[in-house]
Amino acid sequence: MTVTIGKTELQNMFAQAAAQLRSENRRLSELDSIGGDGDHGTTMLRAAEQMEAWPREPEDESLAALLKAVGWRVLSIDGGASSSLLGTFFSGMGDVALSRDSMDATQLAQSLQAGLHAVGRQTKAKPGDKTMMDALSPAIAAASAAAEAGKAVPKVLQEAAAAAQSGAESTRNLVARYGRARSLGERTRGHPDAGATSIALIFKGFREGVNNAGS
Amino acid sequence: MRMKKFINDPQNLVSELLEGMVLAFPKKVRLSGRNILARAVPKESGRVRLVTLGGSGHEPGLSGFVGKGLLDYSVAGDIFAAPGAPRCMEAIRTACADGNSALLVVLNHAGDVLSGNIAMEMALREGCKIKMVLTHEDIAGGPNPDDRRGLVGFFPVYKVAGAAAERGASLDACLEIAGRMERNMRTLAVAVSTATHPSTGQPIFELGDDEMEIGMGQHGEAGTGRMPLKSADETAEIMLNMLLEDLGVKSGEQLLVLVNGAGATTLMELLIVFRRIAHVLVDKKIKLVRSAVGEFITTQEQAGFQMLIARMDPELIELWDEPADAPFFVKQ
Repeated sequence: MTVTIGKTELQNMFAQAAAQLRSENRRLSELDSIGGDGDHGTTMLRAAEQMEAWPREPEDESLAALLKAVGWRVLSIDGGASSSLLGTFFSGMGDVALSRDSMDATQLAQSLQAGLHAVGRQTKAKPGDKTMMDALSPAIAAASAAAEAGKAVPKVLQEAAAAAQSGAESTRNLVARYGRARSLGERTRGHPDAGATSIALIFKGFREGVNNAGS
Repeated sequence: MRMKKFINDPQNLVSELLEGMVLAFPKKVRLSGRNILARAVPKESGRVRLVTLGGSGHEPGLSGFVGKGLLDYSVAGDIFAAPGAPRCMEAIRTACADGNSALLVVLNHAGDVLSGNIAMEMALREGCKIKMVLTHEDIAGGPNPDDRRGLVGFFPVYKVAGAAAERGASLDACLEIAGRMERNMRTLAVAVSTATHPSTGQPIFELGDDEMEIGMGQHGEAGTGRMPLKSADETAEIMLNMLLEDLGVKSGEQLLVLVNGAGATTLMELLIVFRRIAHVLVDKKIKLVRSAVGEFITTQEQAGFQMLIARMDPELIELWDEPADAPFFVKQ
């Protein structure tokens, strides 16, 4: 059972999240073609590359620095709003007082909260608007609740992943109220949002990364 | 239908088009960092720099307007996608070097605004003297300005703010001019046929053979006015009346009118449309003081046009008339 997330676990979480995005990239582009220009999968492939590119000597870096660096690399891919928000989320996760080498369940929840806060400063989208916020916001609420209830790191990520998944699924019945798809209105109903689906995949990868690394 | 475009590896579209721009206009522009276009001869130190950012595939916008009297730096994103904040930051750092100040012009599209805001936060933290102006003049977005996209209105903003910067106006004065131009302009777009995304080969939207859509943005974002195809005169009248009403133009006022081709609409059509706009303005006793017809921002081979009207005061007219020398806009 993983008690804390160290650098190996963090690297593994991002690698597994990248693997999830890779395996689903075609579906992500298909979903995006309904409300957007159909390139979300390709953008997430490029984000995945950056999530896997880890410094050679991670031991020299603090956890916060590693999170800020992965965020910066994702921001650098020029992938429009989705990569800007994802990069902001990752780098925001490093905008909190973390121990240098490991984080426990409480710190993980705080780090995720900080990531959500950073995203919230850059977008006015709220849950219900059929955007990535529909998966991100419940995922982080679930992680915080699990940490507060004294649950361990794997359980915190498991509950976050489950909440992200049902949040992404809930966008199927929503009409886009934000972003490029907004103007399509009713035409967007019936399919989950591509950005929310990506967030669910990333949290699924985070969960698997921790389970594979230390269970 | 198979995509018929003269391209090479779709991965290299942006770098190759910018390389072409530099090779075609070596006395005007050069590359400064990856996919950042700069003036061949930097502006004199002490004058405000104009920086912009935005997706590619819209040529000549935005990078084609780097040059004297207009932009200093253009950060080009991927096809239809905003450049990331790190490269915008790189351009801002260069623009603000040696204590110079800069005005960042951002078109209201989600990705562009995100990159602009993130870059602005970092730039201000680093002590750069920079301010940002957001263009959002597309009336199809509804009454809330946040929902209005930035269409071809970037051009008059570059033009008047660029001329003011060239004259040595302060950053605050350039911002005031840019803001005044922005508040006094309105745009509406119409599309009659789709464009192909040059990376994916897919059409960016679907439109019936006998349909047109008023309110279509420059990325195929849907508008609200899908209707049977109409004549040039009827289309011009519908759109002009919507714009005049939204801007609240009264008889006796002075307007700039700009008609921008979306890519596949011919200059013949644009001129026929313009002619009708001019007639209607005469009927309404509104003065057409300045005009522009041509391609400023395109969406590949999308057919349609954007109509912009702007209320002009003597100072804006004077700045509009100042010389400019960019690859795709020259004024003596």
